[in-house]
Order: sequence, then C-alpha cells, then structure tokens
Amino acid sequence: MLRRQKLLDKEVLDSLRSIVINFDIDNAEEKAKEAIQKGVDPLEAAKVLTDAIREVGDKFGKGELFLPDLVCAAEVLKKAIPIITDEMQKQGKTSQSIGKVVIGTVYGDIHSIGKGMVATLLYASGFEVIDLGVNVKAEEFLNAVKEHKPNILALSALLTTTAMEQKNVIEGLKKENLRNKVKVLVGGSPITQEFADSIGADGYGATAPDGVKVAKRLLGIE
Amino acid sequence: MQRGFKRNFEPLKVLTNSQVEQIHAASLNVLEEVGFKYESAKALKLLEDHGCEIDYDRMIAKIPPSLVEWAILQTPSSFYLKARDPEKSVRFGGNSVYFFNSAGARYVDIDTGIVSTPTLEQNNLGVLVSDALDSVHAFPSYTPYFEIEGVQPVMSCAVSCAQRHRFSSKPSRGAQPTYTYIWETMIAQACNAQIMGCVEGAAPLSLAEDPCNAAFHYLEAGFPIYIASGSVMGGSHPITIAGASVSHNAELLAIIVLLQCIKQGAGVIANNFVSAMNMSTGDLNFGTAATSLHQMAFNQIWHSYYKIPITNTGSAFSNAKIIDYQLGAEKLPLAMCSALSGANLIVLHGGVTAELAYNPILAIIDDDVANTIGRIVEGINVNDDTIGLDTIKEVGSTGTFLSTKQTRTYWKTEDYMPKVFDKTTYKEWIDSGKKTVIDKAKQRYEEIIATHKPKPLTEEQDKEIDKILKEAEEFYKKKGLI
Repeated sequence: MLRRQKLLDKEVLDSLRSIVINFDIDNAEEKAKEAIQKGVDPLEAAKVLTDAIREVGDKFGKGELFLPDLVCAAEVLKKAIPIITDEMQKQGKTSQSIGKVVIGTVYGDIHSIGKGMVATLLYASGFEVIDLGVNVKAEEFLNAVKEHKPNILALSALLTTTAMEQKNVIEGLKKENLRNKVKVLVGGSPITQEFADSIGADGYGATAPDGVKVAKRLLGIE
Repeated sequence: MQRGFKRNFEPLKVLTNSQVEQIHAASLNVLEEVGFKYESAKALKLLEDHGCEIDYDRMIAKIPPSLVEWAILQTPSSFYLKARDPEKSVRFGGNSVYFFNSAGARYVDIDTGIVSTPTLEQNNLGVLVSDALDSVHAFPSYTPYFEIEGVQPVMSCAVSCAQRHRFSSKPSRGAQPTYTYIWETMIAQACNAQIMGCVEGAAPLSLAEDPCNAAFHYLEAGFPIYIASGSVMGGSHPITIAGASVSHNAELLAIIVLLQCIKQGAGVIANNFVSAMNMSTGDLNFGTAATSLHQMAFNQIWHSYYKIPITNTGSAFSNAKIIDYQLGAEKLPLAMCSALSGANLIVLHGGVTAELAYNPILAIIDDDVANTIGRIVEGINVNDDTIGLDTIKEVGSTGTFLSTKQTRTYWKTEDYMPKVFDKTTYKEWIDSGKKTVIDKAKQRYEEIIATHKPKPLTEEQDKEIDKILKEAEEFYKKKGLI
C-alpha cells in the first residue's frame, strides 16, 4: 500500500514539475488541486515546484531558455503555489525561504519587465518575494517594509528621470528609522555602481541574474 | 529654411490597402471598446465634452470612431517649425526627409567603448558639432546627453535645452517630465523660436499626467507637437508586428484626439519607437528586421492613409558598444527603410551602446550616412539634359565622358561624395598610416570645433536663459526635488 502511494506521489510530483518546465499555465491550477486531492505532502509539492522554477532560472541564466519561458514558468507558479500553500496552512506546515524581498519599480516609472525578471529569479533562488508592482510611491515601499519586515528592499528604475526616486525611498527609510533594518538593492538601465553608492544603496545589480547574486551576497549566502 | 531632402518617388509599401484598413479598423475598435487611460481630470473632461464615454475612477476614455476620424482630418499634413535663426527653420511633412540628432545617456570613449557622465563642456561641444553638420536638421530633447555632470537630474532637460539654444541655431524638441515643458517653452520664446512640444504615451494604452499637462501647455504656447508611445514588442505591445501596429496606432490616435480637442488644427508629428525585445535580457533589440518592418508599416499607414507627418527613432541606436561593423549594419538598414517608406524625420546621428551613449565622432560619420540616404531619396532626375542623348552620340564607342559638359555640370549633384569615408587607393591608405573612417572623423571633429561658430544669441537672450534656469531651480527646490 505504502509503495503504491509512493508511486502515485511520484507520478503526481512529476506532473507538477512538468507544468513548470513545459510552461503549462492553462493546467497549473488543475494539477495543483489534483496533487492536493491525491494526498501529496504540500511541502513536497512546493519543493518540486520551486526546484522546477530554479531549473528554469538556471537554464535562463545559461542562455538555454528565454524571457517568455521564464515569465510563463513564473505564471505557472503564481497559479499553483497559492493552492499548495493553502493546504500547508490547513496542515499547519510552513516552508523555509532563504530570505524575504520586497520589490517594486519606483514612482513615476511603469517599466515592469526587468523588475519582473529579478522577482522571478529571486523566487527561483529560494527567496520569498513580495512584488509591489510598478509606479510605487516611496511611502508604499516604507509601509511594505514595516508590514513584511523583509531582509532586502529591491528598487527598479528604467528612466534617468526616475532614478532619483530610489534615493527618495532610501531617505524615507532613514527618516522612519528603518534604514538599518533592511538591505537596499537597486537596479535598472540608468543605474550604475557609482550612482548606487552615491545614494547609499547596499547593492547594485547590472542584470537580473547579477541582482540575485548581489542579494545572496548581502545576506551572506553563497 | 532648411530644405532637408525631398523624396521624389512613391514610398515603399509593405502592406496591401486592405491590410492598412484592417489595422486601422482594429485600432478604432480598441479605442472604442477598451478605451485609453488619460491620467488627467482636465483631459478627461474635455474628451467627455467631445463625446467620449468616461470612467473617471479608472481614468479611461472610450473614444467613438467618429471622433478619431475627425481628429485625423484636423491634423495638417505638414507644419512649420520656427528656429531662432529663420534659415534653420523646417517644414515637416509631405515628401520631405529630415534628420534628427540622436542622443545618449552618457559620453562614450570612441577608442575603448567606456562610458562616463559627460561634462557640460562635452555636452556643448556635442551640440556645436551637430550645428555644423548640414544633415542634422533638428534636435530632440535632452540631446546630445541625458545626463550632465554637476546638473541635478530634474534640471537636465532645462539645462540641455538652454545649451542647445546657446550652441546651435537649429530647432529643438521639448520634453515632458516634471514640469520641464514650462522652462523649455520659456527658453524657446526667449530666443524668439518655437520648440516642438512633446507628448509621449506609456504603452499599453495610457498617457500619464505629465504629458497631458505638457499637451495643454505646449499647445497654448502655439507650438506643434511630437507624439510617441515607445514600447517593446512582446512586452508593452503584442509580439506580432500586426498586433503591435494596432496597439501603437491606437495609442497615437488617442493622443491625436486629445491634441485636436485642445486645439483644432494643431501641427503634429507622430513618432515610431517600437522595438523588438531581446528575449534573453528583456532589453531593447535594436536594428532588427521586426523593428524595421514595424516602422515601415507605420510609415505607410500614417503617411499614405492618415497623411500626418511621421518620424522614426529605430535607426538612432545600435546594441554595438563601439563604432564597428555591427553598428553600421544595425543602423543603416533601418534608416534606409525609413527613408524609402515615407518617414519625414529620421533619428540617426551619434547614438551607440543602445540608448546608453553618444559621441560626436559617430555623429560626423553619420553625417555621411544621412547625406547618402538623402541623395538616394532625391531619386533620379530624368530630362533631356540628364539623358544627354547628344553627348552619348558624340562620345560614341571610343571616347570618354569625363571631359563632357554633362559630366562637368552634374558630377557633384548626381552622387554624394562622403567627407570621412575612406576612398583612398590601397597604396595611399598604407602611406597615410592606415587611416580609418574614425581617424578621419576625429580629424573633421578637430576642424569643426576649431572653426565652427554657431550663430550667437544676443546678450539679452543669454541673460534671459540664465534667469529661466534660476527660476526652474528655485521651483524644484520648493518642490523638494533638489
């Protein structure tokens, strides 16, 4: 009986992995529900899903997969993970992340692609990610830092004219006595290491994969 | 007035008439059923007065097709842009082809490809060089550099505009973010010139508050308007060229509707800056076939169907980091296709390293590119003199045409003779120390900065610009932006 359940679990978990690596957004919810109905441990289901997106992220980093693949794999997780985490809560189980990140594109800037890539790759690397979206005001970032108590606040800006908004957020953190409670990671087309240093950021990522490396370094993770 | 170039043949078409109508009809459908977001209560109220259905909470206006058709008809097929030097004014539209200077965030070292923030002097020299190049007819905003050392970001557009007026008498385009349109309007007026206003949408299907305010401001000043809705296919627009054409069309038509509701008959030039996406990085992929095809489809629709002046930005940039074969191969085909398919204004000179960098040495090389393209679009002059049947008979099968009157008359105008392209013989090239086009452009750069004197502003105009910049600085300080 136990052997049969294990085989069934493997089949369901393989199917979960498959929806991620095949970017099967349409069947994501159904497969996640099926896994729960068939009695798969939600922690194992979550691990399979995150391992799969990490695999996609690694292949993206190596240039074997492309942006639409990464985005679609992330969409699969967006649909499947809430179903799995609901079940985890019901069973009183929790999963571990390597750190928590609040991320968003600063006020005045509606560019989302770069920010979305970083968010997905951070998630794929094991971070818990709270994505505030685009055109996020400084006070919204500050409120999110107070509410979620992240390890890292990641700020994106694609326009020269909005880059200074990253500084406004950092100044806001100082005023609210939050600056030493969170590491600030900045990125975006007009941002340079010099600019990041000048506004008092803790880290700068030139590319999305680079942003993940810097995030890990900031938390002392290899 | 600057003549620019005149395209003397029918523009190249990449769509059938029914495909043009299909894209137009789909654009109208998007505006009628999905609508367009204008982040301005003032704009929404005006559009409501003109028959749009408004959702004030979502700031969406659903635009009836009849209003869009009306706005297209109100938009003139050409307009005049007055420069501070009347000889440098331009008329955009019709079969004219002009070139816009390109821009970059930073200065790029020609030899190493390393970028750095330009000093004010480097910025000024960049403007001066383009003032000297006869194929640069006008400047966009924050040109040649987006950033200038020692200048607060919020002041960069105003300072850039001031320096363009000081170091060039050619016309300029304004910008729209953070009230900069106030200062750019004042600077142009202080120089007794017009500036081309700027109203840029944010794809998909929206126009932020700043460009809405800029639209009212620039039109009140009596200036024509440059409109755009830059995007990337697969990101802010559909991945297909046809789908992206519909989205882009809808966005620009929505802006045209607002402009014509504000001021009926306002001169408008519509820009195409829709790029392909690098699917590995999410960055813009410059110089690609899809980008060029999108531009050509746009040119056909707007030039031949709407009869509204058009500009193309696609050939302004390359992903190459230095002046090399890739740079030429990415920029030239797009610029050529733009010119052949009906663009009235092509952004070209000086941009490299995507939008990251600019160098006047490249602008000098691009001067030869632009003049070559310009000569091509001027086409072939066919008449008795240019055919020269008598000359052909006279030379017969044994002589040469080199000494004929026809050659003496036409050799300078039938072709464009590049100024810096290497046309030496192999031996001359060896003897010259293997001088490249970059070496020759550097030489021309030195000659220009040593000899070119832009038409100066009057002392009063110069002082007035200083006053405007001080006022802008105080304004931004009060707003806490400096």
